[in-house]
Amino acid sequence: MSWADLGSAALRAALPVAIWGCGAAAYAAAKRDGRGLASARWSSLLALVLVSLAVVGMEGSLLTHDFSVQYVAQNNARETPTFFTVISLWAALEGSILLWTLVLTGATAYVAWRGTRELPRLATAALAVLLAMLAFFLLLVTTPAADPFVRIDPPFDGNGPNPLLQNHPLMALHPPLLYLGYVLFSVPFAYAIASLVLGEGGDRWLVATRRFALVSWALLGVGIVAGSWWSYAVLGWGGYWAWDPVENAAIMPWLTATAYLHSVMVEEKRRLLRTWNLSLVITTFALTILGTFLTRSGVVNSVHAFTQSAIGPLLLGYLVAIVVLSVGLLLWRMPRLAESGGVGAPLSREAIFLFQNVVFVAATLTVLLGTLYPLIAEAVSGAQLSIGRPYFDRVEVPLALALLFLMGIGPQLPWHGASRATLERQFTAPVVAGACGAVLAVVLGIGGAFAVLTYALAAFVAATVVQEFARGVHARGVLHGEGPAEALANLLRRSGRRYGGYIVHLGIVVIAVAVATSQAGTVQVEKTLAPGDTVAAGPYLVRLVALRDAAEPQRDLLVADLAISGNGADTRLSPALVFYPNSTQAVGSPGIAAGPRDDLYTILAAYDNRAKAWATIRVLVIPLVSWLWVGGLIVGLGAVVAALPQPRRGIATRRAVEVPVAVET
Amino acid sequence: MPRWLRLVIVAGIAALVVVLALSFRRDPRDLRTGTVGKPAAAFALQRLDGSGELKLEPGGSKIVVLNFFASWCIPCKQENPTLVRVYERYRGSDVEFIGVLYQDSPDAGLKYVRDNGVTWPTVNDDQGRVAFSYGVFGIPETYFIGPDGVIAGRHIGPIDETTLVNGIEALRAKVRK
Amino acid sequence: MTARENAVLRARAMIVIGLVAIVVAVAWSARPHAETPAERVDRITSGLRCVVCQGLSVKDSPAESARQMRDLVVQRVAEGRSDREIVDEFRASYGDWVVLEPPLLSWSALVWLVPVAALLVGGAVAWRGMRTPPPQPPEAPPADVAALRERVAREEALDLPSTETP
Repeated sequence: MSWADLGSAALRAALPVAIWGCGAAAYAAAKRDGRGLASARWSSLLALVLVSLAVVGMEGSLLTHDFSVQYVAQNNARETPTFFTVISLWAALEGSILLWTLVLTGATAYVAWRGTRELPRLATAALAVLLAMLAFFLLLVTTPAADPFVRIDPPFDGNGPNPLLQNHPLMALHPPLLYLGYVLFSVPFAYAIASLVLGEGGDRWLVATRRFALVSWALLGVGIVAGSWWSYAVLGWGGYWAWDPVENAAIMPWLTATAYLHSVMVEEKRRLLRTWNLSLVITTFALTILGTFLTRSGVVNSVHAFTQSAIGPLLLGYLVAIVVLSVGLLLWRMPRLAESGGVGAPLSREAIFLFQNVVFVAATLTVLLGTLYPLIAEAVSGAQLSIGRPYFDRVEVPLALALLFLMGIGPQLPWHGASRATLERQFTAPVVAGACGAVLAVVLGIGGAFAVLTYALAAFVAATVVQEFARGVHARGVLHGEGPAEALANLLRRSGRRYGGYIVHLGIVVIAVAVATSQAGTVQVEKTLAPGDTVAAGPYLVRLVALRDAAEPQRDLLVADLAISGNGADTRLSPALVFYPNSTQAVGSPGIAAGPRDDLYTILAAYDNRAKAWATIRVLVIPLVSWLWVGGLIVGLGAVVAALPQPRRGIATRRAVEVPVAVET
Repeated sequence: MPRWLRLVIVAGIAALVVVLALSFRRDPRDLRTGTVGKPAAAFALQRLDGSGELKLEPGGSKIVVLNFFASWCIPCKQENPTLVRVYERYRGSDVEFIGVLYQDSPDAGLKYVRDNGVTWPTVNDDQGRVAFSYGVFGIPETYFIGPDGVIAGRHIGPIDETTLVNGIEALRAKVRK
Repeated sequence: MTARENAVLRARAMIVIGLVAIVVAVAWSARPHAETPAERVDRITSGLRCVVCQGLSVKDSPAESARQMRDLVVQRVAEGRSDREIVDEFRASYGDWVVLEPPLLSWSALVWLVPVAALLVGGAVAWRGMRTPPPQPPEAPPADVAALRERVAREEALDLPSTETP
């Protein structure tokens, strides 16, 4: 029995198991039947084992270069290095869906074994939903459209992975992160549907799925940043975001997920915005499916259009089913959700969260319509037109700035409303900081009103965060007698959700500043050089040393050796054009010198293919772009702090401290 | 949530689904926007073999097959035998073949022409202006220009014999009328 | 004036000054300046789509076609053509597809209204949400009220930002 046989059999066995489990869980939830639940639990576990076996089978086929499997023949070759062979599990459609299925099975098993112990009936119903979704994906993976184990007459050697995908080890990171983010959101969605179907659960499902939502959001966000990094380091055009349909497909669910994460706090605290939260969960999940559909169906031309396949109509059908069912359920239950009151004061934390809901949804809707409009126009009138960066930038930047502003004032406003005195006390230092930020931008010569505004808002938000930490540390010092370091550590441990959230905000601020500065201050120069010639770009001097051929085991390169000097720099960069044996087009590989102040980005744009006497080099000096990745890391760290379980302790303080009655500020 | 808003949202979702379903009918790589049906642009470019300039003035009662190619283009090499065969059939008739070198050095282009038995006139579009005026997306591309000077058709990608001959014959039929 | 009132006045003054400084800085950076030919070329090429790329603008793309398009734009700008003429030259060859923004004089221009409409509708929904009075919290028993009062007094003394104790 070959690896592929093992994998194929495992997948086909998992489908009836999932269907059985779904039925058992649904029965158990409806009739409160313990045996049904046990049956569903074991089905989930068995499904996990089977799908894991299928993944093992695929990896085995890849590693043994079994070219009788079509997927292996298309995505692997004998000379492909082991690292890239292993990660070609997600190099193309069929393997990606298999990975998706594995993550979904894992999440299902977790809910089956942990979730059902906390909220038995709700979790059981959620389990039924998850198993139904799993059954769909297993069905998908066993149809010819997406079956990774389809057999063919084995060629001698395979095609190897797509050149773009084996240029950089980041390929290991970006898809799994995104898939984890996408798939883990199925859990809050399943709980939301269960809550709607059972007509109960109130707000408890939010608490039960809080960590899933946070982790899924964080993975999706970090996955998007990793994708930007890949675009920057591999695609070789010098940018990190192009509003490509597939980039848009990933950011839309992230936007609504961010809105959701904040909005649930209002429901937990004041039992409001229920309809918003349910709508946001459903929308986020639907957008993850839409995102997969756009990426994999081939209806839009984009960076990811590696394969077009028959999976499109199936995914569309799934999306339609999801949307119709969940929207229908929501509309049916809406009278029951009616809240006993409104938000109240406009200058309160809950009102700010309501505003941010509106802005996030507006931003998401804009991206959605901008991405789909060319499709719509062509379907309606046959006209072919484009909507690209100028539109998205112009519309999304003001919305992003509005969100930055809300991010600053939200945490500072108390629940239920703020008095004027509170406002003055809270915002004096941040506004002053904002002014300093604006002045700094002008002094540094960062051009453009949007950039200056970004700096002002970034400083404003940063000041509010610092202020919060300072107050918290100070309060712990007074209440518990802790020193600053200990107080800080305890803040992060005990109020991790809040202070982890502040760290995330700091990360966003760093990203905002990096984006604004890199967009406003990039210097781009292009020149045709003979060996020995130089070109000046910003403060740097770039000299073409040589143009030479290079050969690696699985690819040929044409390399331009560049010597960089000026501004204290003294390095070599080697942008190249890479030729893969089975591909007609060359892939550009940029030479990047990254630094805290700016990145020097070099591209080999054109060359003399006859005698290598000249090369056209494009040089970009991009300020602060490395801070984008740092910001992403900070966001991830903040999410980790927020997701960590808090140590349980009593509310009363341990050490009694003498507190003066009145303190002058 | 107000009633009208619910209806708007439901209608919006329904419209979205319909559009997505309809979009399956088209291939996103099929770009029809272009110059077909418009008058062909005249140009004057240097011949690859160094024998001076070639001027094209469409509308001179000749049928012109304009083929954009380059030495680094593998599909161009694949379609070349077809072009050679069909050219031989129509040599000396009212059908002209012109090859336009695209984004390539003239020396490499000349070598390609000599190595692959290209006997029709070839010119160098050094700045890419002619390619832009015809709306070239990527090579190989073949344009059919009628005797009235209008671009009658375009084929993107390596051309096969049937398409090439049909295109020429359709234009010849128009001439005879 | 008491020290407290002084402090409040100081705070208000600083907020006002800060806001004014931000507005001035933004206005200063938004001041119009004459566009150099290079900037004009950048602006035009940012709005044109590179025909061999996946949606990149002519300005961003290092592809050969994009560079040739850019050279053509540079020449036309030097010749004194208007923006409209330059873009139309490419549109004649490639259609509306080559322009990265939807054509203004058509139904497609409505996409610019989408964000505005979304904000207005959302704002209306939010406004309605705010008009309804908030639900009344239940009355606390007297003993708890006294304990709560004491706690609030302590927290105010410590100048904590919200009702949550860290």
